Amino acid sequence: MRKVLLIIQREYIVRVRTKAFIIFTILMPVLFGAMFVLPGKLMVRGSETRQVVIVAADAVLADTMKTELVGFRASDDEEAPPADTRKATRADFDVSVETSPSEALRQQLTRRVRSGQLDGFAWIEADAVTTRRATYYSRNASDFIEASLVSRAFRLALSERQLSERGFSPAQAKTLLGPVSVDTVRIDKQGVNKSNSMAAVALPYVLLITIYVTVLIYGLYVMRSVIEEKSSRVIEVLLGSVTPMQLMAGKIIGVGAVGLTQIGIWFAAAIVLGSGGLAFAHQIIGNSMKDAHISAVALILFPVFFLLGYATYACLYAAIGAMCNSDEEAQQLQFPVTLPLILCMACAIPIIRDPNTPLAFWLSMFPLTSPIIMYVRISINMPPVWQVALSIAISLASLYGLIWLSSRIYRIGILMYGKRPTLPEILKWIRYA
Amino acid sequence: MAFTLELDSVTKAFGEFIAVDHLSFNIPEGEIFGLLGPNGAGKTSSIRMMIGITAPDSGAIRIFGQPLTRRLLDRVGYLPEERGLYKKMKIMENLIFLAQLKGIGVPEATRRANLWLERLELGRWANSKVEELSKGMQQKVQFIAAVIHEPEFMILDEPFSGLDPASSLVLKDALLDLKKLGKTILFSTHRMDTVERLCDSICLVNQGRSVLLGVLRDIKASYGRSSVQLEYDGELPLLTDSMLVANFNDFGNYVELRLAPGADPQHLLEVAMRTAKIRRFEMVEPSLEEIFIDTVESTKAVTVHA
Repeated sequence: MRKVLLIIQREYIVRVRTKAFIIFTILMPVLFGAMFVLPGKLMVRGSETRQVVIVAADAVLADTMKTELVGFRASDDEEAPPADTRKATRADFDVSVETSPSEALRQQLTRRVRSGQLDGFAWIEADAVTTRRATYYSRNASDFIEASLVSRAFRLALSERQLSERGFSPAQAKTLLGPVSVDTVRIDKQGVNKSNSMAAVALPYVLLITIYVTVLIYGLYVMRSVIEEKSSRVIEVLLGSVTPMQLMAGKIIGVGAVGLTQIGIWFAAAIVLGSGGLAFAHQIIGNSMKDAHISAVALILFPVFFLLGYATYACLYAAIGAMCNSDEEAQQLQFPVTLPLILCMACAIPIIRDPNTPLAFWLSMFPLTSPIIMYVRISINMPPVWQVALSIAISLASLYGLIWLSSRIYRIGILMYGKRPTLPEILKWIRYA
Repeated sequence: MAFTLELDSVTKAFGEFIAVDHLSFNIPEGEIFGLLGPNGAGKTSSIRMMIGITAPDSGAIRIFGQPLTRRLLDRVGYLPEERGLYKKMKIMENLIFLAQLKGIGVPEATRRANLWLERLELGRWANSKVEELSKGMQQKVQFIAAVIHEPEFMILDEPFSGLDPASSLVLKDALLDLKKLGKTILFSTHRMDTVERLCDSICLVNQGRSVLLGVLRDIKASYGRSSVQLEYDGELPLLTDSMLVANFNDFGNYVELRLAPGADPQHLLEVAMRTAKIRRFEMVEPSLEEIFIDTVESTKAVTVHA
């Protein structure tokens, strides 16, 4: 036991003092911040006033479109552009109207767009009311926000026109076409929480990525540590003092402790910065985060599920490390093992949307995906306790088997050099008493 | 006599391949013992069983008079043939960690590491990372790691390989000092000159079997002064004359040869003088290298019991 402690201690100290650990500790929260803030920031690029011309023989239609474009404010229309692009929609439009379409005008406008005097022009044919078609010429046709705002204005103008033709007053038409708002309210065991969908997805997603990245990275640390000892041949010296089992146990526990330390730092930072950080998040992201919250149970269970996932993969990666002579070799072999983790990420979004599908249930029971998927489910809405308990029990049972399996591979693999073993050879190692 | 290590009919097979085949020998306390053999003879496999990395399929290993257990291994030092240290860690950290694994406390480990580093002229490297050191220096650090816990029994696999002559000398003196302290040392090597100068007894293994075992002095004496060392200029066609020469090892202007049974050394000299200018002619005990080659090459195993 004393020797296992020494190995744990060495693994821990060597890893915690590396630059990689410090950088990763700082970088991860920064990346999350960037993930939520940057897309918005990037979209704001076009926040300068856009010069747009509307060409339509129908002056009333053109004027209504102009009013809709100029008067648009993000808060008017929750449904229009995707949530994280909302900032961009503050872009102002400077709209002028041409009511005498001609080929000469079209060419003149095209030239002005090309030379940069104009951002774009909308060309509305006389029969637009029936065809509901228009063309928007723009320097940057891929700017979908600009295009979507123009088409929104066009749609509203057409609707207003038809409503007024059927005898609605302009004020009535405005009300009919005005924005609606739907609040999302989450109901869970603890009661009723006013939430909003952005925050409801964002937090589980952050937790999902955190548990995924830490399980993967720390699992791979174990593998690299095994390969390092093997390729530098320290293993031979160590085995003169400790058993392979002690070595593997010490290594997995030591690296896991580093992972827990890192998670601890993140949690502590999150709590300390908590209120301030949230206020800051409000400022940059907007009010969408105001209802973001996570239950205490989910917080406490994070290290539990990290450890389950980490230990499972650490065993697998340790066995792979023992089979290989170099990092390059290991890279090929690690892929099949990493596959279930990638599967977790692929299934994440549907599961976050609906955490109670059969897919979500079975993935949260299958030992290679359960630590991550079960935790995601917990972070959204506490599943029945028996499911959580069953998932943990299956995990522990499979872990017991995995430790047995990989310690057998490890014990022999670390002494084998040269050619990578074939599958029959590995099976022989496992049977070998 | 007390034995530090006793191997009794130890056998180890990997699948069909028998790496160690009923190997038996005893190392008396305080001796330097040479485990010799060509590459692939089963030396490393034997050593791995002695330090408990692998278990023998059959046979028994006793250390310090007791059946091998891990607890006893804290009193054993091991220098593997393939050197291994943590490359990213400092010399001092490596040594302290490895000493701790053998049950030595940090302050004591630090003190001993400093003493040894000074002695092996590595003092100013104590806080360098292993990867910054030359191979020879790493080798010396590895040696310190094998002896820092002051083991009673050291297993050294090719301790001199990769060392320059000056370092070899320092290491040899260190080994002799350890011997004076009553430590037992097992060498595994195929470098005969070192063995010849340092070892008390040897075991020569080939294809997993012991083919020559005993006190080195006795082994050499049993061959008698039937060997001739010749320094010459010219040609020596007589070397292929099987009436005179049993076998030989020719270096161009120096040759070691064994007389054929019944051959007269005086006659040999006469014949040699006809074709070459002889600068030195000496009758000696065969060198260990000769015995080694002779024994390994002969199909019949020779065992000389001391």
